[in-house]
Amino acid sequence: MSYAKTLLLWFLMLWMGATTVWAEPFVQGGPIGSQTSDGYNALGPVVEQPIEFPHNRHAGDMKINCMYCHTYARRSNVSGIPRLDKCMGCHNLLPQVRDKPRIKKLFEYWDNKQPVPWKKVHDLPDFVRFNHERHIQRFYFQEKRPVREVCGYCHGDIASMTTARRVKALSMGWCVSCHEKDHLEKVGSSVTSHGPNDCWLCHK
Amino acid sequence: MIKHTMDRRDFLRVLGISGAAATLAGCGNTAIESGVEEVMSYVHPQDFVVPGIGVFYASTCTQCGSGCGIMGKVREGRVLKLEGNPESGISGGKICGLGQAAVQAHYNPDRLHTPMLNMDGGLVPISWDRASQILDERLGAKSSLQGDQIAFLSGGMSGHQRVLLENFLDSYGSKQHVCYDALSDATGRAATKAVLGTEQPLWDLSKSRLILSFGSDFLGNGVSPVYMAREFAKFRKAPRGTLIQIEPRMTLTGGNADRWYPIKPGTEGILALGIAHDLLQHPEFSGSVPQEVLDLVKNYDRETVSDITGIGADSVRLIAAQLWNNSPSLVVAGPAVYGHAYGFSNMAAVQLLNIILGNRGKTLQGQAEHPFPQMTPTPGTYRALAELTQKMQSGQCQALLITGTNPVFTSPSQLAFSEAMKKVPFKVAMVTHLDETAGQCDLVLPLLSAMEDFGTHVADYQPEGVEVLIQQPLMEKLYPDTRGFGDILLDVLRKRKADYAAFPDYYSYLKAAVVKAKPVFQSEESDDRFWETALMKGVIKWQGKTTALEAKLGALEVPNPRELSTDYPFYFIPSIRPDMRDGRHAHLPWLQESPETMTTIVWDSWVEIHPKTAAEMQIKEGDVLVLQSATGSIQAKAYLFPGIQPDTVSMPLGQGHTQMGRYATGVGANPYKIMDAVFDAHTGELALHATRVAIRKTGDNQMVVKDEGPTNVQHGQKLVATLSADQARLSQEI
Repeated sequence: MSYAKTLLLWFLMLWMGATTVWAEPFVQGGPIGSQTSDGYNALGPVVEQPIEFPHNRHAGDMKINCMYCHTYARRSNVSGIPRLDKCMGCHNLLPQVRDKPRIKKLFEYWDNKQPVPWKKVHDLPDFVRFNHERHIQRFYFQEKRPVREVCGYCHGDIASMTTARRVKALSMGWCVSCHEKDHLEKVGSSVTSHGPNDCWLCHK
Repeated sequence: MIKHTMDRRDFLRVLGISGAAATLAGCGNTAIESGVEEVMSYVHPQDFVVPGIGVFYASTCTQCGSGCGIMGKVREGRVLKLEGNPESGISGGKICGLGQAAVQAHYNPDRLHTPMLNMDGGLVPISWDRASQILDERLGAKSSLQGDQIAFLSGGMSGHQRVLLENFLDSYGSKQHVCYDALSDATGRAATKAVLGTEQPLWDLSKSRLILSFGSDFLGNGVSPVYMAREFAKFRKAPRGTLIQIEPRMTLTGGNADRWYPIKPGTEGILALGIAHDLLQHPEFSGSVPQEVLDLVKNYDRETVSDITGIGADSVRLIAAQLWNNSPSLVVAGPAVYGHAYGFSNMAAVQLLNIILGNRGKTLQGQAEHPFPQMTPTPGTYRALAELTQKMQSGQCQALLITGTNPVFTSPSQLAFSEAMKKVPFKVAMVTHLDETAGQCDLVLPLLSAMEDFGTHVADYQPEGVEVLIQQPLMEKLYPDTRGFGDILLDVLRKRKADYAAFPDYYSYLKAAVVKAKPVFQSEESDDRFWETALMKGVIKWQGKTTALEAKLGALEVPNPRELSTDYPFYFIPSIRPDMRDGRHAHLPWLQESPETMTTIVWDSWVEIHPKTAAEMQIKEGDVLVLQSATGSIQAKAYLFPGIQPDTVSMPLGQGHTQMGRYATGVGANPYKIMDAVFDAHTGELALHATRVAIRKTGDNQMVVKDEGPTNVQHGQKLVATLSADQARLSQEI
């Protein structure tokens, strides 16, 4: 192999390595203003969405259960973005807000039968498999904890935001810190257990 | 052969410095991100669609002609993996490796995306509007083409695609539907029909106590390998059946046999007559055949047969005795038998054994008659291609449409198909990949993949009654400018025949046609329900009755083996890989990197040569050899293979592409190009096993990339203890 080719390959590999060595980038503490709600220096950026969806109106003021819209969370790995006809199911019956700019945009998408190109806010690396169903079934259905609390473990208090922003680290150390804790098995019970810590549960 | 510019040492040197983690960067998103990717919601999905959970749709595998029912796992609108469809009697819920790779044909990066037009000697992309305009001018309502001036060359084709294709030709008054299969079994079928009265009898492997197979690789690439593998598993359950395989080069089935005999290529018919001679000594069998058969076989005593075939007289006695002791038995044959100038006689001699042993009606049945003969598969033949080539040469053929076959790659060079193509003024190819034949056409139309198109199929081998197999899209098409085969034909046909105006697309044509057949299937469902059930189950079944087989022994002749010459001292056997077949799947890297079943070699062509012969010629593994036949020569690396007759060399078919995408090109060599011009005397089919070659060393040696370690070497560790055949108790069984 020629010298120039080897040099180029080294450079390429080093550059690729540099972008990937931050496999565990977030630690507790960190500069003021970059901190997540639980103290990691991993606060996500503000993400501009095609429609500024007011989570605070739906989940906060009107106290709609998260899973009314994110209906797949309890039965699949992914919670899924709500289907567009879900939005229309209610908003077709709400003429009083029909002229608001955000609702007008929503109807535009619906009339054109186009999906809304939302930006992904909570995006894990491709080698991590997070299972929504397991967490929801355990904490919401078995332990009957409040939905705002259960979803909030990873997503923060979305009901107080308009569009979602990442306020938890979502790094592996952060996941493990929760899996290591002893959780009460049921509300009011004294029996505790912690989450599984096998590699292959998340890295398949 | 691939030449590597970077060796393993260089690669590791670079990798070691950057760290293994760096290589992960090539695998997509490796960080926690926010606001980078878009995530689309469904607009108005079906209620059963849940992101993250797969839904299975029934369809039919089109990787070979077996017609296995499959189910595609679809998630978020993408087909991810194929499984067998339990509703299908052919696949029985199973699928083979070749079928699995269909997903890769669909997502292949080298798929053709746009129509292409030949301008100034090269193909350039054009729009569909332009392509439709050209089709309309040449083939549409004002076309001057008449009768056999237009021909349609296809691979084996069945179902409504065949019906539509023939209706399309009919609109010009043409009968030129030419079916070509480079691995045609037409000679074997013709001989079987001549003796048993049917081309493709049903084999009952599970009922047989002994199977005698003359080179039939029914587990690897026979007529329905998935079904056969299931039946073979039943055959091996207690009381365990015995498989005896006789062939010049060990196939996958041979590797599974209890006894395997290497035979001189082409002498299988003589051996069959020898076994018949032995069997007919028994009074129980001698009454089963007329006097002329007794007269025919009387010259073939064990010693004579042993001299001709290279199989010991004792072995002939042993095989006959095994057949005598294990009833019911089944005698089957493959391309090693009928791929000769006297292939017809060879095959007839083998079928004679089935008659003598009384297997008709026990382990051999006639297939049920199909209620829709117009949908049954058209067996591809070499002879049809040769006749078409002649018409092309003489200028009779003015327009040629091609789909599902690649004769520029698979026809032997002496046919000069490529040159004949130049004499046809208008050539259209409909393909998913730009292969060698499409590369020489004037207009190339991109087809939908098998995962995107509708269709119906009828299998050649129908083990349980009659099935019409439904193929449906498993996902939306990947490329907007690809079109279905049926849609393209209908576009032209609508302009030529008013009665096709009712069908805006192939889907509506297919649905109408399937629903019309409802009375035959005695269904009382509504039309829509019948269609939906067909789509859901992927198969429509009809309980046909098996037919009786005949015994016509007038077709028997003495096979006349072709001797080796001093110029060409080796028999040449092109082996058929269960995955590559005739080369149509060489563009699938999963199949290229799957170790070949007998040698474990990947991504290459190689010459199998017996270790003894190699030692005599001082050839070692990896020596680059030139195989010279009377027609031409090719190069490949030597591989020392004990599972081959010592006077024989073998090379796998399927490699040596010059076009067909990045994975197919530049790998191995194409044995079709050195086939001698030898044809079966009865059917005119090309005799695939009749080529003779000379071997020359180039002096070059390259590594053979394979999974296994060195063959026949145990480094003194006695990993597998062996003893000679005379010491084994097996030889004293009888």
